[in-house]
Amino acid sequence: MLKIRWFRGQWLHITFSKVLLYVVMIILVCFTALPLIYLISTAFKPLDELFLYPPRFFVQNPTTKNFSDLVVSLGSSTVPFPRYAFNSIVITTIIVICTVIVSSMGAYSLVKLQPPGGVFLFNLILVALMFSPHVTKIPSYMVVNGLGLINTYGALILPNIAVAYNIFLIKQFMEQYPNELLEAARIDGAGEFRIFMQMVMPALKPATATLTVFSFVNNWNDYFSPLIYVTSQAMKTLPLALQTIGGGAAGMSVGRAGAVAAATFLMTAPTVIIFVIKQGQVMETMTYSGIKG
Amino acid sequence: MKEGKKKFKLTLHQRNSLKGLVFVAPFIVGVCAFFIFPIYMSLRLSVGKSVAIVGMKVSGWTLEHFIRAFVVDIEFLPTFGTAVQQTLTQFPLTIVLSLIIAVLLNRDIKCRGLFRVIFFIPFLLGSGEVMQQLINQGVDRAVLNIMDGRLIPYNVLSYFGDTIMDVVQTVLGVLVTVLWNSGVQILLFLSGLQSISPSLYEAAKIDGATEWELFWKVTVPMISPMLLLNIVYTLVNSFTNISNPLLTYIQTYGFTNAQFSYAAALGWIYFAFIGVLVAIVFAVMQKYMHTSEVEEVKKREHKHRVFTIEKAPKRTFD
Repeated sequence: MLKIRWFRGQWLHITFSKVLLYVVMIILVCFTALPLIYLISTAFKPLDELFLYPPRFFVQNPTTKNFSDLVVSLGSSTVPFPRYAFNSIVITTIIVICTVIVSSMGAYSLVKLQPPGGVFLFNLILVALMFSPHVTKIPSYMVVNGLGLINTYGALILPNIAVAYNIFLIKQFMEQYPNELLEAARIDGAGEFRIFMQMVMPALKPATATLTVFSFVNNWNDYFSPLIYVTSQAMKTLPLALQTIGGGAAGMSVGRAGAVAAATFLMTAPTVIIFVIKQGQVMETMTYSGIKG
Repeated sequence: MKEGKKKFKLTLHQRNSLKGLVFVAPFIVGVCAFFIFPIYMSLRLSVGKSVAIVGMKVSGWTLEHFIRAFVVDIEFLPTFGTAVQQTLTQFPLTIVLSLIIAVLLNRDIKCRGLFRVIFFIPFLLGSGEVMQQLINQGVDRAVLNIMDGRLIPYNVLSYFGDTIMDVVQTVLGVLVTVLWNSGVQILLFLSGLQSISPSLYEAAKIDGATEWELFWKVTVPMISPMLLLNIVYTLVNSFTNISNPLLTYIQTYGFTNAQFSYAAALGWIYFAFIGVLVAIVFAVMQKYMHTSEVEEVKKREHKHRVFTIEKAPKRTFD
């Protein structure tokens, strides 16, 4: 144990376990931060550095040429890059808002109101969790086609709202909400909807924030739904655009490697931003803990 | 609902269940349209004899697709084995590592917010296109080159010989892959950890518990619901990941070869396997799960339906 005189007469205690803790954390952080560092530095690499082998992590001569390449490479095509970004933003935002509302309402009902068949529905949700979505893609296509939604935003939004994992997540949090509060509100004459909006939702903020982040990331990166539900270029979203820029699924076209790197960078930026905004809330201690303790 | 009240008198119980149904209705509609019906269709496809692609009419009943998977198809079982092995090696590592990281993060540590953000970032990059692209470029194997040879000079590395280098790189590669996949788990564990009341720790400390005992007797039981959630999430996530070899295999049949029935049958076999696995996890966990305070309260409520103001139920630690 080491004591160091800190400013304002405070003592800084350095113990062996603390040093170990920080060392372990920093090593783990190094490993974890790799993809991000690589991603950022790649976006600014000039063409000759992109194809170095073994790949270098850090850029030597940073350039913004990749970003202008990105604009140029799509300049001749009918659909400009901002259109893909717009599609992605609209679709993801609507999905996130809807899924938060639908899942919290569903979870509230399943846990606190316990309607008939609730247990069955919960078991169904558990089953749905395990089912690979890819297996049901063809029948899902039939449903979307039957509803006449092909090539609309609806095709990309509606199937992604009632997701089993989302309701499962909220349900886990909902179970910890004390029934006493609900009963007190009912005695005071609050309606079910009012209880839900004014009491349950604010207390669930950490859970809904977590769900927002999850749902945003999943749908922002969703590659499969736009691939099968949408045929028109103008309706496609960023993950598909990324492939179009790269030169199709078969392989990356060498000439546009820089543009792809830049597009990848631009694509990941919103997810990082939304997480940084929400992370305080995500981590916020649940309000119920005050009652629990 | 209001009209309903005027027309026929509902009992309190009926009215409550109606309220419940109203709240859960949007979810049910979504699930029926985009989950139950597709599931039914894919089940029908898997046992269908002939499929008309136009209009998707399925007729006849047969089990030949299931038999084909096990008897005729020589590639299916090895691919299946690879997928299972890949998941089973990574999933315990993911759970343990993310629990350790979450516990460390929950301690009194400076820049906790920064660490949290960094651990979560790989998840933000998604398991989709971006990650695939990075892995194609061999990022996970290039860990040793992080500093472009400045941290550990290449000469020193080559001194160890190829075999050792290969092993080290593989181990580090697995570690990186696991770390990249544990963003969500860390987050869930953290929110579980933060919901544990500090007074529990205080009480345990006063009774003379060591750090080690605190972890096993307070932390682990209190986050056991989160542990279950995490195990299920990790298992399912890795089984339904796009990079899973079996899913690629199924997709090839479903989309490229247009053999819908066979693809559906493969999907169902796979699904049955995952289902059994998760059922086992649930059965095992239920046994060890700490019955939470909430459930205890719920049980009491069932006993006397009339609301009673009770004292907080006793917590028991064994």
